[in-house]
Amino acid sequence: MTAALPSRRGGSSRIWAAFAVPGIGWLVAFFVVSVYAVMAVAFGDVDPFLKTPIPAWNPLEWDVTTMSNVLGEVFNGYLRPVFVRTFWFVGLALLGCILVGYPVAYFAARKAGRSKGLLLAALVLPFWISYLMRMLAWTNLLQPDGFVNQVLGWFSLPDNRNWLDGDWYTVVIGLMYGYVPFFILPLYSTLERIDGRLIEAGRDLGASSMQTFIRVTLPLSVPGLMAASVITILPMFGDYYTNTYLTSGSPRTEMVGNQIENYLRNTGQPQTGASLVLILMAMLFVLMVYYMVTTIRQQRAAER
Amino acid sequence: MFAILTHQSINPWGNHMSSSRRDFFARSVQLGVLLGAGVPLLQACGGSDDKRSKVAKSIADGLPPEKGPLRIINYADYVNLEVIADFESKYGVKVEITTIDTDTEATTKLASGAIKADVHHSMASTSIGNLIAGGLVQPLNKSYLTNFPNVISTFNDPWYDPGATYSVPYTFFGTGIGYRTDRIDPALVEAQGWDTIWNATDFKGQVSVLDDEREAFTMAMLRKGVTDINTTDQKIIDQALADVSELIDLVNVKVNIEAYKDIPEGTTSVAQTWSADLIAGAAGYLPEGVTDEVLGFWHPPAGSYVVTNDSMGVLSDAQSPVLAHLYLNFLLDNEVAEKNFSWVGYLPAIAKLDADYVIGAGYVPEHLRNCVPTNDEIAQALYLKPLGATGDAQYETAWAKFTAGG
Repeated sequence: MTAALPSRRGGSSRIWAAFAVPGIGWLVAFFVVSVYAVMAVAFGDVDPFLKTPIPAWNPLEWDVTTMSNVLGEVFNGYLRPVFVRTFWFVGLALLGCILVGYPVAYFAARKAGRSKGLLLAALVLPFWISYLMRMLAWTNLLQPDGFVNQVLGWFSLPDNRNWLDGDWYTVVIGLMYGYVPFFILPLYSTLERIDGRLIEAGRDLGASSMQTFIRVTLPLSVPGLMAASVITILPMFGDYYTNTYLTSGSPRTEMVGNQIENYLRNTGQPQTGASLVLILMAMLFVLMVYYMVTTIRQQRAAER
Repeated sequence: MFAILTHQSINPWGNHMSSSRRDFFARSVQLGVLLGAGVPLLQACGGSDDKRSKVAKSIADGLPPEKGPLRIINYADYVNLEVIADFESKYGVKVEITTIDTDTEATTKLASGAIKADVHHSMASTSIGNLIAGGLVQPLNKSYLTNFPNVISTFNDPWYDPGATYSVPYTFFGTGIGYRTDRIDPALVEAQGWDTIWNATDFKGQVSVLDDEREAFTMAMLRKGVTDINTTDQKIIDQALADVSELIDLVNVKVNIEAYKDIPEGTTSVAQTWSADLIAGAAGYLPEGVTDEVLGFWHPPAGSYVVTNDSMGVLSDAQSPVLAHLYLNFLLDNEVAEKNFSWVGYLPAIAKLDADYVIGAGYVPEHLRNCVPTNDEIAQALYLKPLGATGDAQYETAWAKFTAGG
């Protein structure tokens, strides 16, 4: 009997390991291979007539000229303002998501009581409508004779603003609106799991409700806040259609995603587009590593 | 989708005239959302080692048509579906249309084999030479194209395809300025020409230029009197870049191809645009209570007027090449072309459908007569020509600098 145990345990662990196979297969097929294909295009050549990429699948044949040129432009050339602008837009939109999303998630998780289910359903509702349709709806709301200006008019505020004429705040609002549900849901699940007894303990020990929030709830919700931020900013960095729709293609609001889209879809320079994809990925990877290191540190601290 | 719904709901011609080739802009965004930016890359990867060469032989005379289906690639809403249905019933075949968003996308997908088709419905003039050199299109057998004499004679021997060996023209249009006559005096536009765009400082945020590097930089060149619009002189391109970039601060310029609806709707007051956009705008995009009198078009005089056309061709690996020839011939029929124009809004290169005819038939308002390029203007037109990989890259890079913020 005793001798059979380890083998049984080994068998069952193999079964559990087998559950990971589809996920790993998916990751290899749609992430590793895809990224390698992007690299092969970035470091490859282009058909002189058809302008289609000729990917260099063999790393020994990789040509890094385009990448080094693009890097030069990113750090010291015309692409620098685009990257700086993208970071600003995403940063501001994230700040907006925190300001709007945190109270909503907090209320839904801890204060909503019986209407919690309804609130959650309301939070999931935007996912029923395609992101694109929601952005198109905004273009109608924001146009000069749109609903936003009408509402401003009711309050005797200036109501002749053209919100779609290429202003940064329109893009930031659009990004914020588009991604705030992604922000709220992970944060909600963290806030909901905070042990109520810890908060009660804080109050019992004489802290005001604000002090309890700052000293107990907020620190405990940091992992959720981090996860929510990562989930929102990663797609925001690659976003280009929000901008395209809300500013009708103003050069003032061009983001990295727009440059990538242009290079890949409309030019004979797919290597430049692919290089930009890799550079953006590398930057996001740094953020991702920071997130992972912080999460692991927090977990270790919690285990101690 | 959205644009089409809006369009049909206000369309005075009922279910016709849905000129939304320009919707490919919107569609490219949709596609991007659905597929992600990496997918076109992957699609582009397959089959590029397959070095094809120019296809020299056309099909033999007098072959019976295949059973189909006839596979067409085209921009969305760039052909009247009633015309397609007529063709289907005439030849007893099914027609399948695959839509593409940009000319580059069509070339990429055809070259990689991601799309298989018999007919390329809308080849850009700048691409035809490359499609021929890349062996993607086959020479046409004119014995099937009995309606070819209906074509405007200038297109019998076009610059992009001498002798119209591989292509027949589909639609044509010129580049000029579309504007609101109720906001800007037509006499002023006439006097200022291209400067109108730079001087439109009263209309900040309501000014747009075409989302096309060659078109936009050509405008800047013509404004400075440079008529060698196919130059690869970096100094001239840089000057054009500087001039177009001025528009960012001067007029808060937008970059798109939506003037066909933005001018009628009033969100744009002045735009560099295609003549056909005004025809389409007058027919389908005016809000209630606004007459087509508010639409104006200006274009440079013959000799410095850029005229562009799209063309149809048969792909070299067509499975139904005979049927494909018959389709091209069908579209060159005077009545079919008119029926197609009545819905698409882009003028076919058919001699019968000249300005007098389309105005008389009520397709184009009299005051937009100049949206129909005359034979003289076509004959003396400037053409945007392909510049080779290096030349095109010069313009593309300059364009990326402009759209990055100047």
